[in-house]
Amino acid sequence: MERYDDEIIVCRCEEITAGEIRQAIREGARDVTGVKRRVRAGMGLCQGRTCEKLVQQILCSELGLRPNQVGASSPRPPVRPIAFGELADGEVV
Amino acid sequence: MTTYDVTVIGAGAIGSSVAYHLCEKGFKVALIDKGDIAHGSSSHCDAVALICDKQPGLDTRMGAASIAHYAELAQKFEYDFEFDRKGCLYVCETDAEYEAASAYAARQAADGYEMGMVDNKTLCEMEPYLAKDMVGGIWTPGDAAMSPYKVCFAFTYEAEKLGLTKYTYCNISSVTPVSGGFHLSTDQGELMTGKIVNCGGVWAPDIGALSGLSIPIQPRKGMNLISEKCEKISFHKVLEFGYMMSKFDSINFKRNVSPLVEEYNVAFNIEYTHANNVLLGGYRGFRGFDIRSEVEAMKAIAERGLRFYPVLRDINCIRSYAGVRPFIEDHLPIVSEVDTLPGYFIAAGHEGDGICLSPITGKLMAQLVAGEETDFDISGLDFARFAAQKASA
Repeated sequence: MERYDDEIIVCRCEEITAGEIRQAIREGARDVTGVKRRVRAGMGLCQGRTCEKLVQQILCSELGLRPNQVGASSPRPPVRPIAFGELADGEVV
Repeated sequence: MTTYDVTVIGAGAIGSSVAYHLCEKGFKVALIDKGDIAHGSSSHCDAVALICDKQPGLDTRMGAASIAHYAELAQKFEYDFEFDRKGCLYVCETDAEYEAASAYAARQAADGYEMGMVDNKTLCEMEPYLAKDMVGGIWTPGDAAMSPYKVCFAFTYEAEKLGLTKYTYCNISSVTPVSGGFHLSTDQGELMTGKIVNCGGVWAPDIGALSGLSIPIQPRKGMNLISEKCEKISFHKVLEFGYMMSKFDSINFKRNVSPLVEEYNVAFNIEYTHANNVLLGGYRGFRGFDIRSEVEAMKAIAERGLRFYPVLRDINCIRSYAGVRPFIEDHLPIVSEVDTLPGYFIAAGHEGDGICLSPITGKLMAQLVAGEETDFDISGLDFARFAAQKASA
């Protein structure tokens, strides 16, 4: 598998690099959620749509785990950003 | 077999603080959690340390002491947990609420706490995006906010410098009292410990059951909505006075709200975060351990939010989340030794105040474990109160 240089931005929304994700893993993160809490990867506007697979790959290669062992971010509504006004008016989430 | 003076079970806001304060006293400490640091309620919550949502008396005293201790730790710790003394506004929609709020604030001020009332004009100046028709509110300048999971990371990071041993993703299968302490069997090996502190929060009853204890904590669900990054629209922690009603059901107070808001027991509160998101809450309900987001509750939270911050109408919600608070019927946590099982301590049941009360709980628990006098009388937090209640029932 391709190894991403430490300088490469993995989470575009929060501008988190591969090096920061590796640092989170050294600090004890063992899954996607653990990385997220330590460095915010996946916490931005797209909620990990772009970076989650990449974070999983880095976890797998750093810890020698399989993809099904590193978890995923909990699925939560809304499925796309929706204005609070639309939500209050009862638009579909 | 590894031997410790004290083993703390649960690495949330309470357990991580207890572990840190025990290490500070020189004990050899193990901290065990079935998952990651802060994987439970402490990462499924908002985070404020307020005195203005406490019951007068011991509850408020704990809050005030904890906020003061937070301020010291923020100075002392290398790990930044985003401590922000933003102050808190409790806003009143009606004259009746304002009257009740004034009586509450006067009572707290008489006890020596910095809390006062502000009128509509001051409110509008302090919070320019707040709806203009609020009667006034309670202003508590010393109240603070922080990142809840960073609090846990900060305590464990600092405690490790003092010799803490962490066992994360570690399951305990048995706890056996033996001469001089307890023997713990775990999937990461056997441990001997002189003392145990159960800091399991909503899971404290499961941990207690391993030692035959019945701990009356129930999960009480909460939910928040997260906005996209946006211009700052709130400048303090802001809640509606009705929040107090949703927390303490003994307060008999009816708001003029929609059936949906009523049904989900939604009380408006808002806070800005250091990442420029807004967190919008909140909700209290009993749903067991189900922490899935409820769409109807999301609508109710958004609806109530718009009543107070109309500007939210065009701001995007990017996520919802939910967690469970460790609820105890009398709204006071347990911070005590178990009289029937010497050497076994419990610090749990803070219902939505775990982040707020984390520093003071850790400090007081370390004093109890060391056999020292506590900073103030906490006999009201004794585990034995439940046995006494049962006996008198």
